[in-house]
Amino acid sequence: MMPPILRLNNVSRSYKTRNPDGWGSTVLRAAADVTLDVYEGQTLAIVGESGSGKSTLAKLLLMLHPPSSGDVEFRGASLAKLDKRRRSEYRRQVQAVFQDPSSSLNPQMTVEQTLGYVVRRHDLVSDADQRGFLLRQLESVGLEPADHYLTRYPHQLSGGQQQRIAIARAMMLEPKVIIADEPLSSLDVSIQAQVLQLMLDLRTRTNVGFVIISHDLAAMQSIADVTAVMYRGRIVEIGKDVYDKPAHPYTRLLLDARLASNPRHGRIRAAAATKTPTVRSVRLEGGCSFRDRCPYAVEICATSEPVLRPVGAGETKAACHRADEFSA
Amino acid sequence: MSTAPSAPLLRVSDLKVHFRVADRLVRAVDGVEFEINAGECVGVVGESGSGKSTLVRAISRLMPNLPLDEVSGNVAFEGRDIFAMNDRELRALRRSRGFSMIFQDPLGYLNPTQRVGRQIAEALSPDGRGRPDRVRVQELLDEVGFPDPARVARRFPHELSGGMRQRVMIAIALASDPKLLFADEPTTALDATVQLQVLETLYRLHKERNMAVAIITHDLGVVAEMCDRVYVMQTGKILETASTVDLFEKPQHPYSARLVSLSTHRLHGAGGPE
Repeated sequence: MMPPILRLNNVSRSYKTRNPDGWGSTVLRAAADVTLDVYEGQTLAIVGESGSGKSTLAKLLLMLHPPSSGDVEFRGASLAKLDKRRRSEYRRQVQAVFQDPSSSLNPQMTVEQTLGYVVRRHDLVSDADQRGFLLRQLESVGLEPADHYLTRYPHQLSGGQQQRIAIARAMMLEPKVIIADEPLSSLDVSIQAQVLQLMLDLRTRTNVGFVIISHDLAAMQSIADVTAVMYRGRIVEIGKDVYDKPAHPYTRLLLDARLASNPRHGRIRAAAATKTPTVRSVRLEGGCSFRDRCPYAVEICATSEPVLRPVGAGETKAACHRADEFSA
Repeated sequence: MSTAPSAPLLRVSDLKVHFRVADRLVRAVDGVEFEINAGECVGVVGESGSGKSTLVRAISRLMPNLPLDEVSGNVAFEGRDIFAMNDRELRALRRSRGFSMIFQDPLGYLNPTQRVGRQIAEALSPDGRGRPDRVRVQELLDEVGFPDPARVARRFPHELSGGMRQRVMIAIALASDPKLLFADEPTTALDATVQLQVLETLYRLHKERNMAVAIITHDLGVVAEMCDRVYVMQTGKILETASTVDLFEKPQHPYSARLVSLSTHRLHGAGGPE
């Protein structure tokens, strides 16, 4: 396999947050000792609940935030130490798509101005060829007739169309990898399916890799080659098969929380009438950070922090002391 | 599930809500027929812009703050015409044994400067007469699943998580002991594990109180888990109404079929026109 294009090498990122009572501040470790490889042509999904640190990983990979410790590497070189030529190469080869296209597109610029800016900034084609180039870009993300869209402002487009423009803007530099932070969650399900399909098509056509940050396990199952599950700043499981053979109890908890897709298999109606208390989970010192919610926690979980390690014979890795028992 | 009762709890006939946005006429609700029986759990599914939220707001006479072009039709709650009521009658219905509503974004509907307990007490006695009923406040918090009601009552909304805020909203909605609860995308903003807990709570209250629930959602998973019957809505019109099992197994309208297929296989049905 080719070496990874991007690599998080034992990266941590902390944020200072004000305490709710207003006195003093707390240091929050949004990413803690994360090591992760991103390859060209591969779709890597990062899933987890809100606050798990998945968007922090996207920001680190995009150089929007520097790591507090550890290194983010582009083709083996630390992002912090890239020279001008390599930095420009990085900016071309690593592109971003965000959650809310209406705020990631400039409302005062037409589609032609938004995309044309990138063409000139990176000197992609001559001014004379720009229009034809942009039309081809729009067609490649399924916006036809393309000339109809060039003169439009973002507010004249639907959410799905806006997200296609954002994807076209990322794709026109022929990037090796696109970092997409919740690219589906502001879209309707039928539009989500179209955008997912577009990403699959682009990958087949151009071998672009994707890092998709999402809380939607069902959508990621249909598109991801490899899935990393995050919990409180750590990757607790990573592998190809996490949906069918979860090795970490947290992955299992997430999968169990999926709603039924068939009313005959609904659990809520079947199980009704048990009073579910709200769980106020607390950050525990030492040991496994999931142990307060884990039904399988034993003594060792409180004393020793599990590290990400291979489980069974497969390629899955999990950070759980008891992972081997579950996957057996 | 009750079988063919004489009159439904709520009957909406030929409801139209048309308004103007930037000089464009929007037929948000366009001739809708809709019924809920006592003690029933009904789903209204549709994508954004389908008019599902306008529909339930119009039923409780919460109209969009826009130039209204046409509001017509008939909304009858226990046989009484809601559109013909004066404000006092409507208020009485909202305060006691009528209907209540919860929304997607609880933070937008809770007062940030008041403790949760006080806001529930206010819902119990909207005219502010009498002493705040602490016992009843704690009973309600207990009923929506808080293990420590006295503690939660002293919290401010910002000190609670999203799931806890939604439970507080439910407690406020229950204060009037409603016969019908409208829930507009109640769990859309919540994480999956929290969503499941809140839906379980809603379903338990629906059963324990024999309270009818109408859930407005874009997520057929919520319908599969909760609803006896479902309406499918698109561009202001009801396309199909069916029992939940029938909708999933024998959808009659192509649009419903596509929504069902997408809820099981996220990539199926892709490629159609936007």
